[in-house]
Amino acid sequence: MSALRPQEKLKPWTDPAAVPYVRIERVTKRFGDFVAVNQVSLDIYKGEAFCLLGPSGCGKTTLLRMLAGFEQPTEGRLFIDGQDMTAIPPYERPVNMMFQSYALFPHMTVVENVGFGLRQDGIPKAEREARVAEILQLVRLTGFDQRKPHQLSGGQRQRVALARSLVKRPKLLLLDEPLGALDKKLREHTQFELINIQETLGVTFVIVTHDQEEAMTLASRIGVMNQGEILQTGTPTDIYEYPTSKYVADFIGSVNMFEGRLVEDEPAHVRIESAELGGTVYVDHGVSSAPDATVWVAVRPEKVRIDRERPDQLDNVFAGTVKEIAYLGDVSRYLVALDSGKLVRVTQPNTDRRDDRVTWEERVWLSWSPSANVVVTQ
Amino acid sequence: MVIVEPVCQRGRDPVVSRPAYLTLGEQFTAALSALLGWGPVRAAQSRLKEWGLTGRVAVTAVPYLWLLVFFLAPFLIVLKISFSSVEIAMPPFAPLVQWASDKVMLVRLNLGNFMFLWEDSLYLSALLNSLKMAAVSTMLALLIGYPMAYGIARSERHWRNILLMLVMLPFWTSFLLRVYAWIGLLGRNSPVNQLLVWLGLIDEPGSLLQTDWAVYIGIVYSYLPFMVLPLYTAIEKLDMTLLEAASDLGCRPTRAFLSITLPLTREGIVAGCMLVFIPATGEFVIPSLLGGPDSLMIGRVLWEEFFNNRDWPVASAVAIVLLLLLVGPIMLFQRAQQAAGGVHR
Repeated sequence: MSALRPQEKLKPWTDPAAVPYVRIERVTKRFGDFVAVNQVSLDIYKGEAFCLLGPSGCGKTTLLRMLAGFEQPTEGRLFIDGQDMTAIPPYERPVNMMFQSYALFPHMTVVENVGFGLRQDGIPKAEREARVAEILQLVRLTGFDQRKPHQLSGGQRQRVALARSLVKRPKLLLLDEPLGALDKKLREHTQFELINIQETLGVTFVIVTHDQEEAMTLASRIGVMNQGEILQTGTPTDIYEYPTSKYVADFIGSVNMFEGRLVEDEPAHVRIESAELGGTVYVDHGVSSAPDATVWVAVRPEKVRIDRERPDQLDNVFAGTVKEIAYLGDVSRYLVALDSGKLVRVTQPNTDRRDDRVTWEERVWLSWSPSANVVVTQ
Repeated sequence: MVIVEPVCQRGRDPVVSRPAYLTLGEQFTAALSALLGWGPVRAAQSRLKEWGLTGRVAVTAVPYLWLLVFFLAPFLIVLKISFSSVEIAMPPFAPLVQWASDKVMLVRLNLGNFMFLWEDSLYLSALLNSLKMAAVSTMLALLIGYPMAYGIARSERHWRNILLMLVMLPFWTSFLLRVYAWIGLLGRNSPVNQLLVWLGLIDEPGSLLQTDWAVYIGIVYSYLPFMVLPLYTAIEKLDMTLLEAASDLGCRPTRAFLSITLPLTREGIVAGCMLVFIPATGEFVIPSLLGGPDSLMIGRVLWEEFFNNRDWPVASAVAIVLLLLLVGPIMLFQRAQQAAGGVHR
């Protein structure tokens, strides 16, 4: 019996002996003068659902298309399961892709679409039919066999596209904005189905998305991309709680960012003086930065407490005035102006029914724990 | 007293967002909507609507009526002549309707012309030969036109219009003139022949003129734009990600062309083939000018019946038979196309 706990089993990237399944080695792609992907190196492990997240034009789709074989890297190499794939044409790669537009063949029925890949491999008719039926059942699309794509709804087309890309049992499945064309309700539902299917089949997923919520739900790890580079790779929790740069902190979720400089630099804690906050911040972890360098303290809105009375806490307490309140039912959002004029976003859950909540123009105290903030240096 | 108020304004006027002038198009629209809103016009409009004559019906029905009249009227005249018989007269056929006496109208329907077409093997072989030549030319035009249209549709956007214009460029000179030019190009002393001899590719200059090949070259050359344009439209519409999807699913490029590109551009292929095949079947200028005595085509026979033999009734019969033979299959084909098209649209 394995001594590993489930979480550790699911984290091959923490094991130095683990062999990556997909290896992207210093890959660069240029279109003329434009550098779409710049010196990207990335290891993806078997069974992962790796999400490339970034704004449009950040190079995530180009990276995906290079994995599929539609684009050739200008520099660098790609390996899948130990094999060099750099020069292999798409039709010979053990990789399938689910296209953003689904790219279903309009002149073929559902069965013909799904069976297309198997036919290319010369799989006998009986086996083909059995595998198509099996995969259609998995995506819960039985009874639509003879329909053409234009006779299906958006959600059904998405399922056909998924079935078509899974039926060949690829070593790697590439998904380009898999839920992008679905409406919000259907999206949430489909997200969990995708995870289920991924876990059932054990296929390695590489997902491209610009939607951070989609990335957080689907991914085992996320690679945040901007301007052709991967800024940070980590689990959804790592990316959200421990961003390593201003860009990542700002791109994922909402964040308050305070500029300051290090005044006390100890291995276990630091103090940062910030004019925007009108005081010093105590951070309970060390920071590797030159003394007196400009750094930024990032605090998530839900980690900030809001009180009428000054809380019984020495550090990280600042006074301000409530400027805006948005009551959203489950949570309330506040915009609080500090004395420096800096606006701070605060999100508080409405855990109990009260009528005496803080109100507009009220003086309040904002506070957070020393472990709630993250210091970023770039 | 005059007050002069100096105004000096920079940037955009924050208050007036509407331009003070109207463009020509806006003026036209404004005038039109004013006219349509005017009482009497409105009343007339609603009256017309009661009769089922809306604007949409009017703009489609009028041209259709025009086409119908100018197709049907000549057709009926030709049909009438085809049932007549030759006479040395002006026009050279016997009238169909005669008065035998004051009260008796005599309609003499001469079926002999049609019988003659059947009995004389010349007409049937000319017809079959035309169909064959039209079919071969259509295939050649398709084989040349498809890669051409594909190339244009897949070229960079700013090149496409230039390439399309070059395809249509020959229309700027007369069709007749261009066919005449081929006489010069295909003849024994043509520069092409001289070049081939000079290059040592052929020993002595030969002439393609007055062979079936000259006719094929002429037809393919003249009708190629009619093949390329519908093909271009169909190929340009084709979603390239479908080919990527096919390739991703393990399909090699040749196979992807056969199972994705070709079926999805079928409408363009059909339209292009019809636009070449139909006029090529009745073509008479190209076989007369470029073809030899053996390149017998029904259009040429028809021309000779009319102008050389002055046998209008037989010529008309040829025309009627040709029309019926072409229209019937085309209509059936069209219907089958529509039925098939409805499924995957």
